[in-house]
Amino acid sequence: MLQQLSVFVENKIGSLNKVTHAIYENGINLRAISAFDSPDFCILRIVVEQPEEAKKILTKKGFAVKVSEVLAIELEDQPGELDRVLGILADSGLSINYIYSLVLRGEKAPLMVLSLNDNEKAIQVLRSNNICIVD
Amino acid sequence: MIWNEAKECMSRDEMSNLQSKRLVKMVDRVYHNVEFYRKKMQSMGIEPGDIKGIEDLNKLPFTTKADLRDNYPFGLFAIPDSEVVRVHASSGTTGKATVVGYSRRDIENWQECVARVLSMVGLGKNDKIQVSYGYGLFTGGLGLHYGAENLGATVIPMSSGNTKKQITMMKDFGCTAIACTPSYLLHIIETLEATGEIDNIKLKAAICGAEPWTENMRKEIESRLHVHAHDIYGLSEVMGPGVAADCQYHNGLHVYEDHFLPEILNPETLEPCKPGEVGELAFTTLTKEALPLFRYRTKDLTSITYEKCECGRTLARLSRFKGRSDDMLVIRGVNVFPSQVESALLEMGETSPNYLLIVDRVDYQDTLEVLVEVEERFFSDEIRVLEQLTQKIANVLHQALGLAVKVKLVEPNTIERSEGKAKRVIDKRKLV
Repeated sequence: MLQQLSVFVENKIGSLNKVTHAIYENGINLRAISAFDSPDFCILRIVVEQPEEAKKILTKKGFAVKVSEVLAIELEDQPGELDRVLGILADSGLSINYIYSLVLRGEKAPLMVLSLNDNEKAIQVLRSNNICIVD
Repeated sequence: MIWNEAKECMSRDEMSNLQSKRLVKMVDRVYHNVEFYRKKMQSMGIEPGDIKGIEDLNKLPFTTKADLRDNYPFGLFAIPDSEVVRVHASSGTTGKATVVGYSRRDIENWQECVARVLSMVGLGKNDKIQVSYGYGLFTGGLGLHYGAENLGATVIPMSSGNTKKQITMMKDFGCTAIACTPSYLLHIIETLEATGEIDNIKLKAAICGAEPWTENMRKEIESRLHVHAHDIYGLSEVMGPGVAADCQYHNGLHVYEDHFLPEILNPETLEPCKPGEVGELAFTTLTKEALPLFRYRTKDLTSITYEKCECGRTLARLSRFKGRSDDMLVIRGVNVFPSQVESALLEMGETSPNYLLIVDRVDYQDTLEVLVEVEERFFSDEIRVLEQLTQKIANVLHQALGLAVKVKLVEPNTIERSEGKAKRVIDKRKLV
């Protein structure tokens, strides 16, 4: 499982940049990013290479940060692949809180980040269906 | 420990006699030395001989902050300038500062009162007291400073601001007590928690005042900092910090009645309130030489009890201040005290107590927006949960204030922590 950081940011110009800059300044590489907003605030979710270090940095900067575990799975780059995986999860009664994709590099396979209601069960289900989970 | 048992534990009859004796002398002195009061008394048809004791107090005229301003700077002083050893000043609400003065005896009495407070808090000559009130024209810093020296404690005169240095000194010197505003202390606590240094300090007591705070805030300071927190009250017009403070039972603030004669008045009729009834606090100084005041209207709202305290003191006690009669907001016809918001937030316990009220008028209708900081321990990764939290805070505040409130969550540490008094309200209506 991957450690994901969720950061509370207000909806105002430059607020996301404050987070990315703090991470960049400390030489930490950002692997995935997504932002979900409401009228007044936004939850920025990120996957970075040194999550514990990044958490410390952001907390010190005064952000409210929560670390949670998410799954990253590797998909084959072909039509219907995501549909197939989501079908497996649904059939197993697993609920997806949210999903977003990792930043891709080169010819590597697409990666999806998933937050699920039951990670342990999801791991079992995905493994038994030969879906690759990335560490 | 009781610093001055003779004065702090005398019977009510003895106290009344002492107050009467002092009042009669003071009225006579003021009449002959302060033109402002002499004229006022003459226009009311009163002579010093009419005041025979504290039962005649209500014959005397009131004094307000405006009177001090109108006689700026030294017009109300009752002694020659050569006898004045110090002045302090507080920011005026409009324009000119309110200037106050002290004779040598006044300073001694002030030191005595503050020493009584510190002794009541459990401090003595073996303690190191960090004074983090501002030094200068503000009475907080120097008031606590000389009181602590009088006690025989070691004083660390930090003044306010530079939190990092405050913490270094606190840690390196092994300070056992701190005196500052409660909001600044919360700021220090936050910093100590963030840097993980909270276990490296030896504070056992906090003496907080200069702004209204709630019982919940006191408990929060106590549990987060592992100290006993006490409320110290005072105002420069009457003396400065040390007019009253609470003992270990936290059941009201003991007033040093041998120096300051308190009254609780209905703010509209100015008639005396019964013990236990909330009204505006007024003080008549009994020993002040430089700036004696008759019935000074503090605009602070509280109630009084004359019952003996469990601690053994017989001094009258003021209930925790309910706010100021002039700090009160009227929003859509509803009276709102900022301290009510703080109290409700702390009671709810799912958010930080740092808040800012923004009062505005949109389409001729008052709006109240409350900004509340998201605290990491209550932060959820799910928008849904945060929206539920926002709604819950809005409901809690609606109930507490009797007024619909828009709640906005903001990032931690973004609401301004002043290093003096906390700014809790932005009332944009006044600008219109």
